[in-house]
Formats: sequence, structure tokens, C-alpha cells
Amino acid sequence: MQTSLDFQYIIELLPILIKYLGVTMEMAFWGFFFALIIAVAMAIVRVFKLPVANQLASLFISFFRGTPLLVQLFLLYYGLPQLLPIFSGMNAFSAAVLGLSLHFSAYMAESIRAAILGIDKSQMEACLSIGMTRLQAMRRIILPQASRVATPSLMNYFIDMIKSTSLAFTLGVAEIMAKAQMEAASTFKFFESFLAVALIYWVVVMFFTRIQHLLEIRLNKAYS
Amino acid sequence: MIKVRNLSKSFADNIVLKSIDFDVLGAEIVVIIGPSGTGKSTLLRCLNYLETPDTGSIEIAGVKVEAKNATPKKITHLRKQSSFVFQNYSLFANKTALQNVAESLISVSKMAKHDALKEAESVLRQVGLAEKLDQYPSQLSGGQQQRVGIARAMACQGKVILFDEPTSSLDPEWVDEVLAVMKQLAKQKQTMIVVTHEMQFAREIADKVIFMEGGSIVEQGTAKQIFENPQHQRTKEFVARSTKSYTSAFDSCML
Repeated sequence: MQTSLDFQYIIELLPILIKYLGVTMEMAFWGFFFALIIAVAMAIVRVFKLPVANQLASLFISFFRGTPLLVQLFLLYYGLPQLLPIFSGMNAFSAAVLGLSLHFSAYMAESIRAAILGIDKSQMEACLSIGMTRLQAMRRIILPQASRVATPSLMNYFIDMIKSTSLAFTLGVAEIMAKAQMEAASTFKFFESFLAVALIYWVVVMFFTRIQHLLEIRLNKAYS
Repeated sequence: MIKVRNLSKSFADNIVLKSIDFDVLGAEIVVIIGPSGTGKSTLLRCLNYLETPDTGSIEIAGVKVEAKNATPKKITHLRKQSSFVFQNYSLFANKTALQNVAESLISVSKMAKHDALKEAESVLRQVGLAEKLDQYPSQLSGGQQQRVGIARAMACQGKVILFDEPTSSLDPEWVDEVLAVMKQLAKQKQTMIVVTHEMQFAREIADKVIFMEGGSIVEQGTAKQIFENPQHQRTKEFVARSTKSYTSAFDSCML
């Protein structure tokens, strides 16, 4: 039994794994894109306390924050087609994107809502005083200001989402984790394979952490 | 121009405005004075529907809203007839001076962006801030911020500008430049309602002075009547006290 680490193997594996990074990032980007849309809509519904929609949003948030992401993915991909045949055509990639969006939108809605509520109410009053409607005020003044407050936490969710796409391999999506798992199974070099995939995730996350930092500087321009 | 009838407002058990009636004519400058906590600001905020009155009606430039059947649409329509200058400026923190002033032109008057910015620039020039167009509120002094606030209110082209203690949160050194801009507006026959503690200023520019206490209008008249010949006992006391405190503050400065 060989006990030493096969560094050569790790180096050879990296370019093979990186080919699959595209699928991972695609899932993360689409997942985040849809999550953001759903989250903003739910945050506005909750801030304005729109009847019925507000309760539905609360229920949605409670469920998607209260159950594990893996369970949600299984429910969507393996469970839903049984109930609604229209979903049987859904491929694993779409199911993963859908699951990630729903799951993360629940968290993001809460942090966007908190950011909106954190904006001084004088800003809304100023909007109303010049004749804007509440919705205009939201779109043109409040949300842009709230986005500055929410950016650090939203970027954290994005980074978290990149990592969570690894769960998509359980649905059979051929992403980077799935490839690492396959390589590990065929060579029995488990440590090397998973260390390689871990390193790639790490570098990607560091890259986006850097972007997060630059974004914050840009958004703080009006407040320096 | 403005007709307020039977306006009342309470916060929980606290009655802040008791059946207020008053009128303002076009091009008239009305100054509301009175002790703190007597509903002056609340009255002004009701006119802009930043506070919702409990009863009564407000009519500005022919647009009438009754408290009992006010709809969001009617309220927005009423709001467009006036604009508001806040005690704490309340400038849009994420917009430059120019964008602050142009905002109403773009989103409410639906003016093309280019024209709106041009118009905003000319308004900022009128308040002496032509050099500060691209500064964010956080980069401006209090006096400059409040002048942007006034410029924003001017750009709305409402029929009346409401000033809620526009100099109260300013350092003394910035008060004069803001008052100067308001005097200039007064000369241009801009209809204004001003809540202020600046008695000297009130005397100078007011066509009409309203003295409020305990949520009611105690007395109203020309600046001369209110300051030199008040009829009501409470007005006499208030005017005497505010003139005296002005002098004693002056004295203590001299010591």
C-alpha cells in the first residue's frame, strides 16, 4: 500500500478538472441570477407587507431555510416529476439551478429586506416629497442604496453558492465534483483527487472574494 | 392657493393638531412660529402628506384631498403641487448634487435626461452651487447640502415650497447662506410656508405670521401685527420671550 501523496497525479488532474469548472460556474451564475430576482421580489413584498403575498413569501423563506439543500434538490429532481409529470422533462442541470435559486433566494431575500429597512426613512420621505410613487422611490433611490448595504452579504451567498453547486453531482450533473469523484473511483487516489478539486474551489472563491472587495470600494464612492 | 380646513392629527392618545384652518394666497410667504412640540412641523408634513391627517381637507392649487377618502393616487397628485425642504436636508445619499436636483424632473416630470440635467444645473447655479454639481452630499457642508435641498424643491416646480426648520440643524456659520437663498426666492414671489425659530428672519420676509401653540393656531396676522402688536396673551409672551432670549444670547456672546 502506497502511503505517500502522489503530487504528480494532482498536477495532471488539475487541467482535467478545470475543464468541468465551466459547468460549475454556469450553475452558480444562473442560480445566483434567478435567486437575486426572486429575492428582490420577495424582499419588496415583505417590506411593503402586501397581503397574502407577504404570508406566502414568509412560508417560502421558512421552508427553504428550514430544510437542507440536498433534500430540496432531491425533492425537485426525483420527487417533483412524480407529482407533476410536466417536470419529468427537466434535466439535472436545470433542476440544480432551480434548487440553488430557490434555496439561496430565501436567504438573500432576508438580507435584502434587512438592507432596505436599514435605509433611513428620510430617504423615502424625500422621494415622496418630490412627487415620486413608492415604487419609483424603491427602484430609483432605496434599492440602489440598499444594494450597497447588501452587497457584502450577497457576495457571500454567491461564493457559498459556488461551493454548493458541488451537490449537483448527486443529481448526475457532470460538473467538477462529479469528475473528481469519477477520477478518484477509477484510480483509488481519493485524497489527491479531492484535494485537487478543493484547491480549484479555493482559488475560484479567492478570486471572487477579491472582486467583492473591489465592488465594495466602488459602491462606497458616494459615502467617502 | 392653499386651503386647509378642519385638519386634525393625533399620534396614539396624543392630539398634535386640533382642527386647523388657514389659507395661503399665491406668492404669499407664510411663517409659522411657536414653541417646540406644538405641531408646526406636523402641520407642514400633513400638507405634503408625509403624515396622514385624521380628519379635514387640504387643497393646494386646486387639488383637494379629504382625509376620509384619500387614495394613493390623489395623495401623489396633491404632493406634486408642493415640495418640501427638510430640517436634516434628506438629500439622496447615493446621488450627486446635480442628480439630486434632476431626479424629480426625470422620474416625475418625465423630462429627457439631458434636459433635466441642464435644468438642474441652472437651478443649482441660482443657489450658488455651480461649482459643486458632481459632489455627493457627504462631500458638502451643511449649508451647501441645505441649498441643494432647496434647489431640489425648486426644481419640482410645485406651486408652493414647504420649509421645515431649514436652518435648525445647521452650524451657525452656515445659517446665513441658507436664509439668503430663501430671501432670494421670496423676492421671486415664490409661495412659501416656513416653519422656523429664526425670528429676525420671520420678521423680515413674512407676509403672514401664524403663531401656533398646543396644536392650534392661536393668532395670525402680518409680521408687524404679530411681532409689534400681538393681541393674544400667549402670543405676547412668546414674542417677548423669543426676542428677549435673542438679546440675552447676544449679551452672553459679548461677555
